[in-house]
Amino acid sequence: MDAFFVSVERILDPSLEGKPVIVGGDPHGRGVVAACSYEARRFGLHSAMPIRNAFRLCPQGIYLHGHGKEYGRFSRAVKRLLERYFPIVQQASIDEFYLDFTGCEKIYGEPAKFAEKLQNEIWDRFHLPSSIGIASNKTIAKIASDFKKPRGITFVPPGGEKDFLAPLPIEKIPGIGKATFPMLRSRGFSVVGDIAKASPDYLSALLGKFGTELWEKANGKGNDILVTEHERKSISKETTFDKDIISRTKIEEILFELVSKACQLLRNENWQTSTISIKLRYTDFVTLTRAKTIEPTDDDKVVFEVAKDLFEKSFTRRVGIRLIGIHLSKLNHYTEQCILFEDNDTIRKRMLRAVMKIRDKYGFDAIRIGKSETGSN
Amino acid sequence: MEKLFIGTAGWSYKDWIPSFYPQTQSSGFDWLEYYSQYFNVVEVNSSYYTYINQKIVDGWIKKVEDRNDFLFTIKLHQDFTHKKKFSGEQIQSVKLNLNKLNTESRLGGLLIQFPYSFVLNKENANHVKELIDIFAGYEKFIEVRHKSWFIQRFFDFLENNNSSLCTIDQPVIGEAVEFKPVKAGDNLYIRFHGRNTKAWKGSLRKFGKDQSYEEQSERYNYLYSPGELLEIEQKIKEVLDTVKKVFVILNNHPQGNAVANALELIHLLKERIKVNVPETTLKAYPRLSKISLN
Repeated sequence: MDAFFVSVERILDPSLEGKPVIVGGDPHGRGVVAACSYEARRFGLHSAMPIRNAFRLCPQGIYLHGHGKEYGRFSRAVKRLLERYFPIVQQASIDEFYLDFTGCEKIYGEPAKFAEKLQNEIWDRFHLPSSIGIASNKTIAKIASDFKKPRGITFVPPGGEKDFLAPLPIEKIPGIGKATFPMLRSRGFSVVGDIAKASPDYLSALLGKFGTELWEKANGKGNDILVTEHERKSISKETTFDKDIISRTKIEEILFELVSKACQLLRNENWQTSTISIKLRYTDFVTLTRAKTIEPTDDDKVVFEVAKDLFEKSFTRRVGIRLIGIHLSKLNHYTEQCILFEDNDTIRKRMLRAVMKIRDKYGFDAIRIGKSETGSN
Repeated sequence: MEKLFIGTAGWSYKDWIPSFYPQTQSSGFDWLEYYSQYFNVVEVNSSYYTYINQKIVDGWIKKVEDRNDFLFTIKLHQDFTHKKKFSGEQIQSVKLNLNKLNTESRLGGLLIQFPYSFVLNKENANHVKELIDIFAGYEKFIEVRHKSWFIQRFFDFLENNNSSLCTIDQPVIGEAVEFKPVKAGDNLYIRFHGRNTKAWKGSLRKFGKDQSYEEQSERYNYLYSPGELLEIEQKIKEVLDTVKKVFVILNNHPQGNAVANALELIHLLKERIKVNVPETTLKAYPRLSKISLN
């Protein structure tokens, strides 16, 4: 979807049409740009940029906090439409979908023509602009979808992948970010063709496993299997403070809050987590993450104890913290077993599920679990 | 034959000026006549408070004579549903109006609405049955707001008694039901009360006490967002093919929100046709420009 959040904002308020619109919150705050309109991009704005920098470049822009729930509703509606046409739809993010066209030519005809019909239908039904890339694998399809935005359709015929990629700047390849870009540029790689022509061993020595992947991507190879399961791979909750915090107690309280929210999401999805990580960012932007793997759990108390332990081990500098986050991964399904004699753990699990139901109905704040609670039930 | 009937609960609201009715009205300007240019159904709510004189009903019929498919649905008087105290004379009074509308092919049906506190128990079930029997010859829509009624046995009972279940959308608090249209009976009748949770909770506390119009209306003060309407569209479409007629009634009337949302639902449920949006509404709700004919 093209500038998805902005497009939804324009549905809510058509007066935003044609103006530089930035979704991401207070322009004087510490957040980042979640999305910006093409009019705003002309000022050099892009998503993930600190919103203060954005404001400096484009003070006349319209800065909005955004309507997260509304974006979710539109995203689900678009997905429902796509699922009517395609047997396999993989949702990559709130506004990106991979569609498997294999075998669909017989029903829908030429892919590029069908893409045009689909793009029009998404516009007619939802008033949302979109761009479509058609290719033999996911990487190229994604790059192609970005090739002519907004409202572009780019078809890369099978066999034409390398030629399509060769002249593109290297940062068009997903995965080349802040760290790898300067490294590759300093070694003379400027377009994708340079990577394709390089030796895979050289790239592997330079970047490890990612180097090999990069070489394959640059040569037009990639994954064409769509993963349709709606399963989350991980759950993250993080917060950037208005003012840096140094008080250990205060940070632990915030961490506890984040753990509670993350665990609530976990239970909503009927998941348990095995790997718990925390992320700390100091005032000077030094960022570190620490992780620990444990027995699968969805219990706030267990997760918090691990998180607290990780925090204590990581918070070694006498410098303020600007961001703290919790990340739960290695998720698997929670199954309630038929147990004749319930132990404390089982009772506690049931209690937490009851908490989840109350929160679903009355909101997160309807019921709180105390930080100092001992779990003795 | 028209299948979709989309409109509002009532048409006579002063606070619909200027978001629907124009600020300046000529001497011959009639609200119902104007309303019927944009919608094909209206739910009559005044019948809940008073026994309406037949002449008034004749007047309504005359005002919509240019609209072939326009229907009225009538909300049953509170004496029957809330006070549970009614006489043969009152039954006759209601039936006279229903008959009049029926003869003129203007009757959509009779809405029998019970309060949130009305739970499924033997006494209440008998009460529902009694009313269904009294109005046996008419199409009926039964609105129950408490979760306890949402069982298959009740649905089957309605289906066998010339009645349909009225599905509602309301703030989901306590044992209130979530929005999910269910086929129970030949038709689908859906009422949207808005999702103003805060005011709704407040009004439950004040239930039965004297309140001003503004206080009473506040709980319906809600404008559904475009995304919420997409979800609503999806849920209605899941059952659309299983029923004969669908009545969609917006009761979030304060300021004309019901008008804006009803027009948006016409657009969504009628496969994105462009809608005749009055200038007044377009001005008050600019987001409707995307669906407007003009």
